Order: sequence, then C-alpha cells, then structure tokens
Amino acid sequence: MALATQHPGLRWLPYSLAGAAIFLAVWSLLPQAGIVPSALLPSPMAVGKTFFELTQEPFAGYTIQQHLLSSFIRFASGFGLAAAIGVPLGLLMGWYRWLDRAVAPIFETIRFIAPIAWLPFAVLWFGTGIGGPILIIFSGAFPACLINAYRGARLTQGFLIEAAETLGAKPRHIITEVVMPSALPSIVAGLRIGAGVGWQSLIGAELIVVSSGVGYLMVQGQGNLATEKVMAGMVAIGCVGVLIDVALRAAERHFRRFEQA
Amino acid sequence: MSSIRFERISRTFRVGGQLVPALADIDLHVDEREFVAIVGPSGCGKTTLLRMAAGLDHPTSGRVLVGGRPVTGPGPDRAVVFQQFALFPWKTIRDNIGFGLKCTGVSRAQREPIVERYLKVMGLDGHGDAYPHQLSGGMQQRVALARSYALEPEVLLMDEPFGALDAQTRIDMQEELIRLSRVHPRTVLFITHSVDEAVYLADRVVAMDRRPGRVREIMDIAQIRRSEKWGELPVEEVMDLESFNHLRTRIWRLLRRGDGEASGHGVVDNPPLRTQPAQKTKLRRAQ
Amino acid sequence: MLRQETRVPVWLPGTLSVASCIGLWVVATTFEFVGPARLPGPKDLWESFEQLMDPGYAGGTLPQQVWFSVRLVLAGFAVAIVTGVPLGILMGMSRRAEALINPAFLVIRPIPPLAWIPLAILWFGLGNGAKIFVIWFGAFVPALINTYTGVRSVDPGLIAAARVHGARPWHVLFEVVVPGALPLIFTGLRLALQASWTALVAAELVGAFYGLGRVLMTAARDIYPGMIAAAMICVALLGASMTYLLGLAEAKATPWRNR
Ligand SMILES: Nc1ncnc2c1ncn2[C@@H]1O[C@H](COP(=O)(O)OP(=O)(O)O)[C@@H](O)[C@H]1O
Ligand SMILES: [Mg+2]
Repeated sequence: MALATQHPGLRWLPYSLAGAAIFLAVWSLLPQAGIVPSALLPSPMAVGKTFFELTQEPFAGYTIQQHLLSSFIRFASGFGLAAAIGVPLGLLMGWYRWLDRAVAPIFETIRFIAPIAWLPFAVLWFGTGIGGPILIIFSGAFPACLINAYRGARLTQGFLIEAAETLGAKPRHIITEVVMPSALPSIVAGLRIGAGVGWQSLIGAELIVVSSGVGYLMVQGQGNLATEKVMAGMVAIGCVGVLIDVALRAAERHFRRFEQA
Repeated sequence: MSSIRFERISRTFRVGGQLVPALADIDLHVDEREFVAIVGPSGCGKTTLLRMAAGLDHPTSGRVLVGGRPVTGPGPDRAVVFQQFALFPWKTIRDNIGFGLKCTGVSRAQREPIVERYLKVMGLDGHGDAYPHQLSGGMQQRVALARSYALEPEVLLMDEPFGALDAQTRIDMQEELIRLSRVHPRTVLFITHSVDEAVYLADRVVAMDRRPGRVREIMDIAQIRRSEKWGELPVEEVMDLESFNHLRTRIWRLLRRGDGEASGHGVVDNPPLRTQPAQKTKLRRAQ
Repeated sequence: MLRQETRVPVWLPGTLSVASCIGLWVVATTFEFVGPARLPGPKDLWESFEQLMDPGYAGGTLPQQVWFSVRLVLAGFAVAIVTGVPLGILMGMSRRAEALINPAFLVIRPIPPLAWIPLAILWFGLGNGAKIFVIWFGAFVPALINTYTGVRSVDPGLIAAARVHGARPWHVLFEVVVPGALPLIFTGLRLALQASWTALVAAELVGAFYGLGRVLMTAARDIYPGMIAAAMICVALLGASMTYLLGLAEAKATPWRNR
C-alpha cells in the first residue's frame, strides 16, 4: 500500500492485471469449453505455437520472417517516398502562400479517396510486384506527412522569423533553421500517423493482389481455413506496427528535447 | 554613418475595414552613437515605430532613413532585441549567438572566437551548450543581447528588452547595458514603459502621446549625465540624485497630464505580461 | 500567414493548377500520350458512368451499388458509435474501468482494421456480417480513444462546480462531461467515418457480391480504367458528403463553438 500511494499508477495495477487475466481467460476458455469451435477461435497457446511453426516451416512460399521482411521493404520504400515528398512540400506550402493555394484544391480533392481504392490503378500502372504496393503505401502515408509539416510551418512563431530576418537570415536560412526545426515535432507526429495508415494500407494491398508478405500469408491461411495461421499473421502485423511506432516515438522525444518540460 | 531619422512618419492600420491611425506625423532622429529612449502609454505606437526602423513594418507616409539610406527591409546592420527574447529554442546558446554570423556567411572557424568572446562578455561562460529553456530569464536576455552584439551592428533597436524580467535582474541588466555601451558605443533606440529606466539609460528621452501616436516632448539628459558622471555610479546612487528625481518626476507629470486629457484617467502602462507581445505578433501575422 | 501578401489574386493559383491538371489529363488522353488501357479519358469516364447507370455493372446499377455500400457503412458506423462512445465515457470517468479494459484494448489496438478482414471472413463468411464487423472495428477504435481523451480533458473545476450546485452524478454526466467532451467526440467520429469507408472498400475488394468495392474489383479484373475511375469518384463523393453531414451535425450539437 505504501508503494501504491507513492505511485498513483500502481494503485490501479491490480485492476489491469485482472483485466489482462480476464481477457486471456475468456479467449482460452471459449474454445476449450466448446462455446466457440476452436477451428474458429484457436486459443492463445495454439496461436503462439503456430507462430513458432511459421518461423520454422515455410507457408505460402516463405517463412513468416521472410514474409515480414518483404512487407517491411515495401513499407519502407513507400513510406520513405511519402515522407521525402510530403514533408518538404508541406513546409514549402506553409511558407509560400501561392504554393499553398495552388496545391490545396487538388490535395483536398484527392484526399477523399481512401488509399486502398487506388489499388486497381496502382496495379494497372505499376504492377503487383513492388511498384503497385508502394503507390498504395504512399497514398496512405502522404497526406499525414504533408498536413503536419504544413501545420507545423504555419504555427512557427512570427517573432522568431522576424528575429531571424533582423539577424540577416535569407529565406533559405529561415526555412531550414527556423521553420523546419520549429515544425519538427509536428512533422514527426505526422510521420507517426502516416506510418500507421501506410502500414495498414499495405496489409490491405497484400490481402488483395500481392503474392508475398504477411497479408498474403493471412489470405492463404484463410483459404485453407487455418484460423490459427491468420491470427499468427495478425500478431506479427501488430508487433511490426508497434515497433514502427516505438521507433518514431523515440524520434519524437529526441526532437522535443529542447522544449520545456 | 548610423543615425536613424524618422521623417514625417504616419502609419495607419486597417482593422476590420476601418482605418485606425497609429502614428501621426512623427519627426524624430537618433544621432550616431546616441542613446534615445521612448516612453509612453501602451498603444501609442512605440513598437510600430521601432519595427519601422527595423524594416519589419513600413510607414503609410514619410520615410525612415538609417545611415542616410531609406529602410527597405530587415538586415543585420540593425540588431533588434525583443521583449520576449526570441531565442531559437532548438539551438544551443552558442548556436543562438552565432546564428546571425552564420547567416551572413562567416565561416565556422571565424565564428567560434567571436561567440566565445561574447559568452564571456555577457557572463555566460559554461552555458554555451545549454538550451535556452534551461536558463533564467535574465540569462536568456543576455543571450539575446550577445546574439545582437555578435553581429557588431551600428544600430541597436530594443523593444522593452527588460520588460519580462524581475525587478532585480532588470537593474542588473541596466547596469550591464551601461557598461556595454561604454565599451562598444552604438546608436540605440530603446523602448520602455519604465520612466526610471529611460532616465537612467538614455541621452534623450522621448515622451509620446496616444491616439494617434505623436511625440509630446523630448528631454535632453546627456548633459547632466556627463557632468554628474552617472555612468560610473551604481544604479541606486544615480536614483538618489536630485537631478535624476527631478527629471523623472517631470516625465511622469507629462505623461499623466497627456493621458489624463486624452482619456480621463492618468495611468502610464503597467509592465505588460510576458506573453502579451507574443500574442500581438501572432495577431499581426494572422491577418 | 508567415509571408506578406503578394499582389496575386487569392483564387488565381488554385484555378491555374486545377485547370492545368484537367487540361493535362484531357490532352494526354485524347492524343493518347497515355494509352486508354492505363488512364481513361473524359469520354471513357462518361461512358462508364452511363453504363453504370443504365444496364449496370458488376451485378447492379449505380443506385443499387451505392445503397448497398452506404447501408454497410452506416450499420458499422452506428454500431461503432453505440459501443465506442459509451465505453470511452466509462473509461474516461472511472480509473477502475480504464485499468480493467486497457489490457485487452492495448493488445487489439495495434492490429490495423484491414488485418481483421481474413479473420472476419472466416468467422462470418463473405456476406454482410464480415463487412460490418470490419467497419465496426475500424470505426470503434478512433471513436473510443477520442471520447476517452475528451472526457479526460473536461475541466475538473467544472465538475466540482456542478457538484457544489447540487448536481447528481447523472446530471454531471449529461450536463457537464458529455458536452465538454463533445468536440473531441466529434473529432473521433470524423476519423471513424473515414476509417469506415476505408474498411468498406478494402473488405469489398477482398470479396463481395455487391457494392462499390465489388465494382472496383470487377473493373480491375476486366482492365476497365473508365469504370475504375467512376467507382473511385463515387466512393470519394460519398465519403465527402457523409463527412459534410457529420460537420452539420457537429455544428448543431455544439452551438457554443460556432462563430
Ligand atoms: N498589425 C496591426 N494591425 C492593426 N493594428 C495594429 C497593428 N500593430 C499595432 N496596431 C495598433 O497600433 C497601435 C500602436 O501599437 P504599438 O506600436 O504596439 O503600441 P505600443 O508598443 O506603444 O504599445 C495600437 O493601437 C495597436 O492596436
Ligand atoms: Mg509595444
């Protein structure tokens, strides 16, 4: 209790543990008690075992690590492209009004198209190998990259820009040394959102057209009525998603280090 | 070659479709190496005037000349010290001080000794690698001063630079500024809401009126300052002098009377909150 | 804005860029710089819409397909509101409930909604059940998180003020907490609506008998760019108009925020 009063978070720990226990218990007992057939809901143990097996024996052509790797390579290329174009464009739109006014109507129109709806054209234009999926990830990650860079630039304190101007800064200095660092926390937050949407869009694309990657593994599992393989794939997707987010969160903390606590 | 001249300046702002005169018919000059302080009620256009000298704002009519040339935009020949410090939060103290030099194309190797010298001059040794938020307000303002001085500008424009500091730090900074201006004399336009500060620092004090902003009176202090050697005395000694008190009382009367006539109550503006100018800047930008 | 205004009229850059995009499209397709098998021209697009309206395509006419998809989105979205918002309020109001529910939520949340599609199909087949489930899940998460954040951001001083004026817990909930959280709840609902359309399109692309996703998928199989574009435009328009309606609802529900 002494510990609990010192750490207010600990006071609720028993409830969290209970919550976790209930969650696992319900998940394991439902199939065991025969309420739900275990073919539809394999127990956590079964999913864990399948996951391990998938790391050893290839399924749908590859082991799960290889599937993950090919997914991740696609993700990294598409996301990298989205960040490389979206962030500078957003910053410039925040700085140059005419660019903002020129790009905004087109961007706002295209934004209403769900990224995954680009799939038919992505395949038509770039094929199902790596080009098509990259376009899908790009269209998922690009809007957040652009919007957050834009907002960050627009919210740069006016007096900091004026201070820079009076110190002899030229537009290029102001953009790289004032607007960009000032927008950086917002940019990284945008990258995080974009990464999430991009990763999810890739999984969608892999479910439909691609013939490797975790999404493909899951579709094959579904075709074989192997629920435990599908769920193992979901676990893998969740883990990679968390890892990407953790990495970007660390970057966010790094770039916020100069801020007041 | 570094005097400031305001020639028949007027400035009108458009606020929600209406024209609001902020400054009317200002004629003012700051001679080379002279220290001129402007006092006046809040909203009388002091900041607007200074921004015009900095090239951050432009007169509706009239011209601003610095060193005989019309001002067209901001530049490193006229350093501005802002009330809210305006340090770059993401740069270390060292990089903040070196920023202007970097922008004007001074190489890293040449910058380093200059930055080190100003760290020392401003009593900031050992803080070079800190970030601004790790320093106290007084220290932050020293960094801002160092950042301006590092460019060795002919002209210094200061808009209530000590307004956000506590009383004691403020006095220290005033002494610091006197000391600096003895070592590196500059042309200074200094805005303050503190009559004491104006009288203590300036060669001439300009008292302004509100709505629209006009010059009410200009008081020459340089003579007394020099003859009584204020610059060599500590602040509290100067403030005890009869001449000092006489001057400050005169300015107070002037300001109260002026404001009383205009609006029925005579209050010279209170120290503004630290956030106020920042908000004002935002409003400006938002239009 | 950061920079001073220039003398260019406000509408000029946007008009120019939109006009040049459309011009480029028309020129590139009529002179076949880009083949009709890759990018439909204005005429192809128009004919696709006509075909979609009259004989229909992929098992139905345009109104039928639209109605089919909209129904699913509305169903999934409604279920998400009914489950996500109350749960968010509960978690925001009670630390105990939050601690109890959080572990399950933390496990489920990182799995993107689209990754539930194969499981949903295994559970519910290719019919409506699987789609509503996936849409529900996609919309549920943002609805819950934003509601929770909204409830947490309500000023405790306001709650105390209500209490000292004799408000019962029930009153506190409906007169203080919910209105205070409403702006963020609506933010959540907007995100939820977007997620709903994404989930619907993906689910229908994976497997469906009707709906706009089905049109999209069939057109992709037939390599029929005009129809692909037509279906995309429909999806975008529907998403935009539902977002617009939600904005109207928001303005109605939070009149104190209207300027
Ligand atoms: N960008 C602006 N737009 C509209 N009005 C302004 C703007 N800047 C200043 N003003 C107005 O001009 C007057 C003078 O302002 P300012 O120079 O900031 O006064 P001071 O610094 O003496 O307090 C005030 O009435 C203020 O409201
Ligand atoms: Mg001012």
